[in-house]
Amino acid sequence: MKSSKRGGEHSRLTLRLWDFTGTAMLNLFMFLFLVAYLSPLPFMVIASFTPRNQFLDGNAPILPSERVKFNYEGKDLIVYEVPTENGIKHWALYKPSRKSSQFIDPNNPQAGPILWQGAWRTLQAVYQFKPTLDNFEAFLSVARMSLYFKNTIIVALISEIGVLFSSIAVAYGFSRFRIPGIKYIFFLLIATIMIPSNITLVPTYYLYSGHMLNWIGTWLPLIVPHFFGSAVLIFLLRQNFKSIPRDLDEAAMLDGAGPLRILISVILPQSIPVVTTVALLHFFYIWNETRLTSLYLGIAPQLQLVSFAVQRNQSYFFTPEALMVGALMVMVIPVVVLFLSQRFFMQDMIVTQIEK
Amino acid sequence: MDVANQSGLLLKTRPAKLTRRQQETWIGLLFLSPWLIGFVLLKALPILAALVLSLTDFQMLTPESTRFVGLVNYIRFFGDVEARASLFGSLRYFLLTVPLEMIVALVLAAIFTSERLKNKRLSQTLIFMTSIIPSTSIFFIFLGSLAYANRLIFTPLNLPPIEGNGLLLPFMALWSIGPGFLILYSAMKSVPNEMYEAARVDGAGPIARFVYITLPMISPAIFFTLIINLTGAFGGAVLLDRGYILNFSLSPMESYINDTMFRDADLAYASALAWITFAVMMTITIFLFRSAKRWVYFPEEHDEEL
Repeated sequence: MKSSKRGGEHSRLTLRLWDFTGTAMLNLFMFLFLVAYLSPLPFMVIASFTPRNQFLDGNAPILPSERVKFNYEGKDLIVYEVPTENGIKHWALYKPSRKSSQFIDPNNPQAGPILWQGAWRTLQAVYQFKPTLDNFEAFLSVARMSLYFKNTIIVALISEIGVLFSSIAVAYGFSRFRIPGIKYIFFLLIATIMIPSNITLVPTYYLYSGHMLNWIGTWLPLIVPHFFGSAVLIFLLRQNFKSIPRDLDEAAMLDGAGPLRILISVILPQSIPVVTTVALLHFFYIWNETRLTSLYLGIAPQLQLVSFAVQRNQSYFFTPEALMVGALMVMVIPVVVLFLSQRFFMQDMIVTQIEK
Repeated sequence: MDVANQSGLLLKTRPAKLTRRQQETWIGLLFLSPWLIGFVLLKALPILAALVLSLTDFQMLTPESTRFVGLVNYIRFFGDVEARASLFGSLRYFLLTVPLEMIVALVLAAIFTSERLKNKRLSQTLIFMTSIIPSTSIFFIFLGSLAYANRLIFTPLNLPPIEGNGLLLPFMALWSIGPGFLILYSAMKSVPNEMYEAARVDGAGPIARFVYITLPMISPAIFFTLIINLTGAFGGAVLLDRGYILNFSLSPMESYINDTMFRDADLAYASALAWITFAVMMTITIFLFRSAKRWVYFPEEHDEEL
């Protein structure tokens, strides 16, 4: 916009045209990308509202539907598409038999059974659109979702506080202090990220077990380690702290600020996006955690966290629609948290722009 | 509770001799202490225990007859076809998925930094959302939507139906870009606006600005994402736990180690396998670190000697 003021009437118009096409192209591209990227998601929603036996019928429609039934003499008869001389008729199957079957015409039940020659098994059932909530009801009757949600939120919040405090402090230590050999300490930190978790699984389990700490069946093995900082998050924060120019903390130091003051009033205000990112990543990590939960909370059902609890319940009825219901339930809160945290994200950005 | 005061206490216990440089070291170590303590208790000791374990013939059922066997478990790996295949499988998985994941995340993050993009909040949520779907469900989602696509698009158009086998890995990779995207995007947002303004004044177009300003400035974040993805490919939930139950993982090597551990209860061999995996990963990482000197940019690297 600034440059357009310098140009004449003509170039201002071209510039606006360019501006408009550029914006349109960019948004169109993002829209198309999102459509393609999310195209498998409708299956998830459709499946969770689909009645149970619809997946067993290969000819069933895609949307959640149920078979059309016709009540005749107190019995529910299934309606089929029957080819006749007068075109395809929707008739209810009355007496099935291999070679020929008797049908009832729902529009004219008084006429009685009609004999039709042919194998009824080749016929297609008639469906009508009808989403069902049965999957959700079945799921909720087994899974104590409110308990799992409460447990997970408690664990996530406590460990979030621990992981943020310790990781920020450690990352600050790594990024701003001249410590002999810090390069090697940092390399050790990277190494701990890469050590496959199953190397330490057995010894760690032993540490928490009745032989030593006796923490099995409590939340402690899921919470306490985070108070020592998370190597990945430390790495992420340190990279970001290092990219903040040192002139700022040197200026603060000349004003008499101590290291903690510099961290709080110089480094952190500049790092709000990365701290938000770290907080979110940790929250999602705890939310989806299953390995440790299955190991340490297997004997304490009342302490279960949502992700593992849902998977364990799903193993009782391992069908597409049950799985999709579970997945939707697990996803709801993280998606809401993500959406709300973006608001905070965006506000922050706008504020810094105004200051400039 | 002020750290300056605490360091003051330290000063008193170590009188006079402490120079400013030493003081800085001690304060730094104080900040590092949570991780250092945790490292010794929760990492170093279990790792040492695992190392000892890998040199024995420990069996879960008969712990009393454990003997020291030296490198037998490591030598066994070289004769174990399945283990070697799993290790190469993990390597292949890394090479197949990581470049795709990184490039898509990078392009998306770059588009997101544009002020012209509308509805960022919604789009960002939608992009991240797929990374939270539990693993058991994601497989059904993939198969189910593939069946829909074949039924609704490919069969009516008389096209051959898509086979799912080759597409599953790229699909999983794309649906896991959430954390990488978030990291790269937040790194891009931290790039000072003044730099872009200066480049714009100098006449640099959007692509030049991306290549000469954005990429170098966010190279630490790119490097970080690369390391994380490497670890993910060889096993271990680093940034994102997909909710895999212990005996199932997308990484072939991790599945194999877990099978050895839980199905065969052969902890000693499982530990040895985990160490071999670690050695391979470390080699790749050292290589990456060496190369990082060329392409990862840290502003204060130049005044390191100050």
